[in-house]
Amino acid sequence: MIRYPRAAIVGLLASLLPCAAQRAVPPAAPPTTSKVAPAAPALAAPATYVGSDTCGACHEDIAKALAQSPHESVETADKHGFRGKACESCHGPGSNHIQSVSAADIGNPAKLSPAETDRVCLTCHRNQPTVSGRLAASHAHNAIACTSCHSIHAHGPRGLVVRKPNEINALCEGCHIDVKALFAEPFRHRIPENAMTCVDCHNPHGSFKPGLQRMDNANEPGCFKCHSDKRGPFTFEHAPVREEGCQSCHMPHGSPNAKMLIRQEVRLVCLECHANLPVPNTPGIVRGVVPPAFHDLTSPRYRNCVVCHQKIHGSYIDRNLLR
Amino acid sequence: MKRLLLCIASVSGLLAQTAPVTPAAAGISPVPPDEPVLSGSLDLGYRWVPGTGGNLATYRSIVDLGSGPKLLGADFTIINQGRRFFDRINVRAADWGHDPYSTLHIDVSRKKLYDFSGDYRNIAYYNNLPGFADPLAGSGLILNEQARDTRQRIGNWRLDLLPNRVFMPYLEYDRNSDNGTGIATFVANADEYPVTSLIRDSNQNYRGGVRIELSRLHIKVEQGGTRFRDDQRLNAGTGQTNYGNLYSPILGQTLDLTSLSEAYGVRGHSVSTDASFSANPVSWADLYGAFLYSEPVSTVNFTGLDTGNQVLLSQVLFYTGEQNLITAASKLPHSSANLGAEIRPFGRLRLVPSWLTDRINSSGSGTGQQTLTTASGVVPIASLLSSALVENSSQAAMEAFFDVTRKLTVHGGYRYVWGNASDVILPIAGLAGLEAGKIRRSVGIAGLSWHPVQNAWVNLDFEDGSSGSTYFRTSLYNYQKARIRGRHRITPALSVSASVSVLNNRNPSPGIDYAFLSHQESASLQFSPGGGKIWDFEGGYTRSTLRSNIGYLDPEFLIPEQSLYRDNSHTVTAMFNLNMPAWMRYKTRLTLGGSAFLSSGSNPTTFYQPAAKVSIAVRKNISWVGEWRYYGFGESFYLYQGFRTQTVTAGVRITR
Repeated sequence: MIRYPRAAIVGLLASLLPCAAQRAVPPAAPPTTSKVAPAAPALAAPATYVGSDTCGACHEDIAKALAQSPHESVETADKHGFRGKACESCHGPGSNHIQSVSAADIGNPAKLSPAETDRVCLTCHRNQPTVSGRLAASHAHNAIACTSCHSIHAHGPRGLVVRKPNEINALCEGCHIDVKALFAEPFRHRIPENAMTCVDCHNPHGSFKPGLQRMDNANEPGCFKCHSDKRGPFTFEHAPVREEGCQSCHMPHGSPNAKMLIRQEVRLVCLECHANLPVPNTPGIVRGVVPPAFHDLTSPRYRNCVVCHQKIHGSYIDRNLLR
Repeated sequence: MKRLLLCIASVSGLLAQTAPVTPAAAGISPVPPDEPVLSGSLDLGYRWVPGTGGNLATYRSIVDLGSGPKLLGADFTIINQGRRFFDRINVRAADWGHDPYSTLHIDVSRKKLYDFSGDYRNIAYYNNLPGFADPLAGSGLILNEQARDTRQRIGNWRLDLLPNRVFMPYLEYDRNSDNGTGIATFVANADEYPVTSLIRDSNQNYRGGVRIELSRLHIKVEQGGTRFRDDQRLNAGTGQTNYGNLYSPILGQTLDLTSLSEAYGVRGHSVSTDASFSANPVSWADLYGAFLYSEPVSTVNFTGLDTGNQVLLSQVLFYTGEQNLITAASKLPHSSANLGAEIRPFGRLRLVPSWLTDRINSSGSGTGQQTLTTASGVVPIASLLSSALVENSSQAAMEAFFDVTRKLTVHGGYRYVWGNASDVILPIAGLAGLEAGKIRRSVGIAGLSWHPVQNAWVNLDFEDGSSGSTYFRTSLYNYQKARIRGRHRITPALSVSASVSVLNNRNPSPGIDYAFLSHQESASLQFSPGGGKIWDFEGGYTRSTLRSNIGYLDPEFLIPEQSLYRDNSHTVTAMFNLNMPAWMRYKTRLTLGGSAFLSSGSNPTTFYQPAAKVSIAVRKNISWVGEWRYYGFGESFYLYQGFRTQTVTAGVRITR
């Protein structure tokens, strides 16, 4: 019984209502395709571009930093249309600011809404290494702007974002404190040791897999990049591995159970699907071959299913995943 | 000499973990320092692991640090002022000297010409948990036959060429391999035998592509390939009788294995295509889409030869030798595509429709020739099997984001997921045959993002899903998922964060009656008065609860049973840094902290990792470093698996 279409349509319409209701409120900074974040106009005359050299006369430290950062290319290349005006490519025309020396007369992307900040960045960075773009990323949905992680003026080995494993992990853990706690559990990936980083498995810019999971070789699960012996393809697949992923049985961030399993005993992981129970009137749920009757679970011999079914991730030669 | 070496040696694994990173938004100084030709740091040291109390196998499976001289860390940058071949080289290395995880990373770049990065990791994969969820292992009956002691070597090299700002070709190559030994099971017809496993597999990926960046259109096209091999071998020594797990005779005969030689000869390859675009065709809309395709293929030539006394129960046939020759092949064409847009009809409203599909069509076939040597002669048994697994799933969603004010954005939407899956093995035998499933799920989505003040944000995400059917009994069915997360930098010195997440999933279908509930509450605090010049503190606490109930039938007696899983855990992490007053003219920094994990429920576990570290700057560029760590692991049900270990490291950090 699917009960949502009507409720969803109502919800969607309801979410649109504030559109009409909020007409009296002055609009936020309008969406713009110009590469300029609009500044609050304090002077009557429209602002014009003054060039980065003018900005650097006062903001010498930032100008120096920018000259050594990847954003230097905005200043020196024609591609973005801001040769000699890199500062104003994000901050907007600065002539009024030059006259008034007021912060109110220059745009500051850090003070825009996250969506507006992102739009300034995405003008150039639309095709970052992700298959789905940033538009579909949960970070964008949650209004976590690019500048939450990236320092636009930074330079040097760090580039615009932290690069060292411990710094990357600390940056992610700053917000994902619940995930950080999972890595204090005994069985986990080697994040606390900084042998791995969060971005080895997750693409913070976007992915159409849940949890921003990375993919490998186009559309294979990112787990296979290191665990390539589980990649297959197998002559005899274990369907959940392909259809629901490793998380069907494992908790990759951390678990109190051996091998990061979701249950304390292997047999329970298996029997929750291979349950030997009929499922009447639900034709979609008939999967999970049941164990044969000679599997006496009171005998320790049968308590750890993977002792025999050791090719549990898929077998090249045995239909019962025994070898 | 050795003592001298020990004295001057140093370690700083803790240093690598403890330095809290201020997020970019907190303000990294943009001021470029004068960069010397060579700058960086080198950490050398010696680690002592006096001994492990308790179970060494568990210690090695979880921690696995050993004694000896170590290169604990190196991080340096070379600047080439001439810029002829490169502008800058950054090199990072950590934990070399037979540590369980050694890493090396190098970046080389020349502005407007190329970016090169290389990454290499050597990871020990030791897993020999004595119980591995076997509740009787403590009584001396060890059934764990899944152990491994291998080294994973993972390398990745990527070159981005920058001939101009529009076309940016790139090449990438990565390789990973796994080599070592382990224990695996040789499963005969009526008994199982632990035997030696030699693990040897490797995988190579190579890909090349081009990024095309125009002002309103970005395109990426990539083509890749894979080579894979798996040469696992199982061996049992000739002349050694292995009685396996079955101690009682069958029909008066004791089963045994006297020799075994099995070899998996697996070879694989694949091609992959990745094409994606994103565009800004009009001022009020962005578009994006991707097409991904991979087609891995594998072939197998398996040979096996064993001797001993075995029985084929289905024919009550005893045999003394068995030979298996199996050839098999499989392929898995997998295509995925997505398409989406962000439409901004008004200044405050964004509509984000999206669609994606994922299609797997796996097929395999194999032929086997089994030859049994019996008292009455040779019995050949041939087999021919084929299999297929098909899964087609799709998802369509529409979300709307509305900026109520500049500080508050609400969003809501609807997602529909549908798909079909089936798998079959022919000929159908026993209960294993054709299986099919489908998924139909409607999900309502809601949430908000609130930035009440400049340095604070709160996010709320909520999903309510309702399914007509799912693939598996434990899949998401009727569920509610919510998460609220917030962070506030109250002052430049004080930040607090909090997070609450809940997942409630129920499948009331007869025969399933699945009830799953988990929730997690976390809070953390960062305090660094005066910019942390004298002291700073970072700590967090997380409480987590998980309850799962689902029924199953005992396979032998068909008695209804319940799989009940409970986990109630508390996790505390803390790190306190103190820059001590000048002591004998030496600048001293003390770090105390660590983590503690305590859980109760189905698998009560404790895991303590306190640590302390002192760093004394003896000269401008040299610091003495000493570190103490403790690892304490315990399980209430599997007491014999607990361990306690201390490590002490001492060494020197040289900076330039």
